[in-house]
Amino acid sequence: MSTTTTSPASTVSRSAARRLRVGGYALGAYLLRRLVITAVLLLGVTAVTFLLVQLVPGDSMTATLSEAALQDPEIVAAYRERWGLDEPVHVQYLVYLQNVLTGDLGVSQQTGRSVLGDLMTYVPATLEIAVPAMLLSLLIGVAVGLYAAVRHGRAGDQVVRAGTLLGLSTPPFWLSLVVLYVFFFVLGISPSGGRLSTYWVPPEQVTGVMSLDALLAGEPAMAWDAVQHAVLPVLVLTVLTVATLVRFVRSAMLEVLDQDYIRAARAKGLPGRTVLLSHVLRAGLVPVITVSGLAFAALLSGTVLVEQIFSWPGVGQYAYRAAAALDMPAILGVSLFVAVVYTVVNLIVDLLYGLIDPRIRLS
Amino acid sequence: MGARPGRVGAAVAVAVALTLTACTAGGSGNGGGAAGGSDSDGGATQGGTLTVSTSFVVNSLDPGQVYEATGALAVHAMYDTLVTFEGSDVTTPVPLLAESWEVNDDATEFTFTLTDGAVFSDGTPVTAEDVVFSINRLHNLQGSPAVTVEGLSASSPSEGVVVVTSEQSNPNVPTILAMPAAGILNAEATEAEGGTAAEDAASADAATEFLNGESLGSGPYVLDSFDPASEIVLTANPEYWGETPGYQRIVISNVEAETQKLTMQRAEGDQIALDLSGRLLEDLPESVQVSASQDTFYFLTLHQDPAISEITSNPDFVRALRASIDYDGLAALFGEDALPAAGMVPTAFPGALPESEAQQQDLAAAADHLEASGITDPTVELMYPAITYRGVDLGTIATKIQFDADQAGIEIVLDPQPIASFLEAQTAGEVPFRFSPQSLNYPVAASLVNNFAPGQASATRTGWTEDRASEEIIAAGAAVQSAPDAESQISAIQDWQHLLNEDSPYVTLAYNSGVVAATETIANAEYSPAGWQVDLRAVAPQ
Repeated sequence: MSTTTTSPASTVSRSAARRLRVGGYALGAYLLRRLVITAVLLLGVTAVTFLLVQLVPGDSMTATLSEAALQDPEIVAAYRERWGLDEPVHVQYLVYLQNVLTGDLGVSQQTGRSVLGDLMTYVPATLEIAVPAMLLSLLIGVAVGLYAAVRHGRAGDQVVRAGTLLGLSTPPFWLSLVVLYVFFFVLGISPSGGRLSTYWVPPEQVTGVMSLDALLAGEPAMAWDAVQHAVLPVLVLTVLTVATLVRFVRSAMLEVLDQDYIRAARAKGLPGRTVLLSHVLRAGLVPVITVSGLAFAALLSGTVLVEQIFSWPGVGQYAYRAAAALDMPAILGVSLFVAVVYTVVNLIVDLLYGLIDPRIRLS
Repeated sequence: MGARPGRVGAAVAVAVALTLTACTAGGSGNGGGAAGGSDSDGGATQGGTLTVSTSFVVNSLDPGQVYEATGALAVHAMYDTLVTFEGSDVTTPVPLLAESWEVNDDATEFTFTLTDGAVFSDGTPVTAEDVVFSINRLHNLQGSPAVTVEGLSASSPSEGVVVVTSEQSNPNVPTILAMPAAGILNAEATEAEGGTAAEDAASADAATEFLNGESLGSGPYVLDSFDPASEIVLTANPEYWGETPGYQRIVISNVEAETQKLTMQRAEGDQIALDLSGRLLEDLPESVQVSASQDTFYFLTLHQDPAISEITSNPDFVRALRASIDYDGLAALFGEDALPAAGMVPTAFPGALPESEAQQQDLAAAADHLEASGITDPTVELMYPAITYRGVDLGTIATKIQFDADQAGIEIVLDPQPIASFLEAQTAGEVPFRFSPQSLNYPVAASLVNNFAPGQASATRTGWTEDRASEEIIAAGAAVQSAPDAESQISAIQDWQHLLNEDSPYVTLAYNSGVVAATETIANAEYSPAGWQVDLRAVAPQ
């Protein structure tokens, strides 16, 4: 009689491998499902945007052709044929979809350049102020929110709550003007707008981020100038974003602080800092990730008014011009970009849930 | 607790401090690798960089398509025209590419003799063929500025000579040819990029995209880069055949009016701002130069086709509305540089009616006219573009009109529209009642007759056909168009305006100024009502 023995170690490793396969399959299936949902969502976004633009009276032809030309059927016909406006709406839409699938977002009637090229020019500009603003907002938002939760009901908490209320109710354009007035006009310690002082010849675009491109061009002084220009827009965006984050962090942390296991951890004599950082913060971060993702997506989608006041040529300014001129390809391009940003950010947020909270399973 | 909130607070304070310390003095002095400093060339001192701030209105930098203010500003610096204007004067064209010109007796044929030595930015000489190509291309492209050269054609009977022919008597041809849209292109280079001056240019020409990235002119500046959303950068043309350009670089930046004001209040370096009209001009430093000219009018248009509106097509209703407006109060909303309108021609141009003839509110007369119209409790929708123009929100003006009309028993419902929708509706010619600003297509009062007289383009859009107009007003318009010289034309256009104030679908409200604000280091920063606002060709360091 022979017996086969299996070591506990090998048993463990086989079951771990099985779990990985299962996990891998689950993650793959989940991503595939999300991909399908995303495709349907983007299809919906393009269809709705396309229809909405069709419903608005007027098109770019009015801004392009002279009155005499608009009265000339031949010229009008040639223009409509050139831009595909002579086709029925559903045909125009299908042609647009077909082009999008090959990476062609069309040509902006405003700039005369490809919409994809325009986006590649303007997105990095928006990133240059959105990323630092988001990082600062997270840093300040989590710290201040946690502080307010810990000091719940006391003076510090009241001050933070009043501050967030002020931040949430401050109009972006007003704050931009005030900041500009104080730091540029009164104190004279910042530039008035734009991405770079006009005496600089801009560096060759490599990343599209002015400060990085200046460094790559071997111009540290120009890079510093670019950083200085970004400071005020970043400051305004941070103030506007941090208020939302503080509010969410505070309420999430308060909820966690009230849990039995936190009381148990304290009862066991764990140091206060350990309890806060290892237990409270981690558990409270889940809802914070959601709102952070949405806030970042909003920043990336373009902050029209802030970009207008600071003469910052980002996605917001591009979208504003496109809407004002009824530039259909550009409007659709920006809508698609915004939809993609939100979708990707949502996906990242969902995946982060599983990493932060083991109780959340993708399945 | 042991959370040590003090440390958390300190971390926040450090983060904020780090952010703010990045704000160190910027925007002054010259960067190391920049177009800074100055050099000397033939005795002329050339400045480094001039910054021009303006709220962008630009679609194209192709001369054949340029129609908006920002585009005209830049194109004028890059492309020479046959003739031009100096400073703020728009009465006397002066030679540029043409050293002289002659006109026949009935002002239908203009013969221009080109100057020797003019070259394009690629070094090739400017020829009569280039001039003929450019004028004919402008006409045949049928873009927005084509209306200015309607009825004109160009030919070259001999080398160095260009003949421009007008279908009807038109003493203003030299003025028309001074406009940025009549800028002269390098014909060969333009054709190589898909340009054409043929009759089918409206559909066949494909050079506009190229011309939005590179200039093909003979002016003192060339196009370095063009971003319709943020900035236009011009650099000095090293091949320029005239005097050395004033600056190595000109950066035209898209800046909101409020930010322009802050910039000018600090007034550092060579800076120009173009949108500081009205109240935005207050509190500027003494050192800032301000130059202004009333070259824009704001007006109401009432459709004359009863099928479109029984109310607006009623002449007595139009008179009632005209009498209901508080012109002085309305002009005050535009700021100190505005005036209540006397007629359609703004004061910047010869032919404007005297200030003493400014229209007045008369509510009693308004009531009488309304009673005579037979319309009780009229309600009309007022469509207008929802924009801020020259620092003034048009919604504010529309609200004032609504209030004034209400005092005369006329109810106005405001209908603000995005600019593209407004233009579409205006072109369709079915808007009963609208409000908008208007500048001249070229700086001669007669251009208004070509646009607003019964049967002309703008008049037709408002249903004011010749059969709906009086014989008297038709004759007055014809007298302006057939005037053989400028003096008789001015007199004729004043007569025409008096009749418009009596019986027309237009209610002219106020004149507002175009303004140039410049730092004291700049010379020749005068406002020009010619269309290019400030002559960047002439602007130079003091």
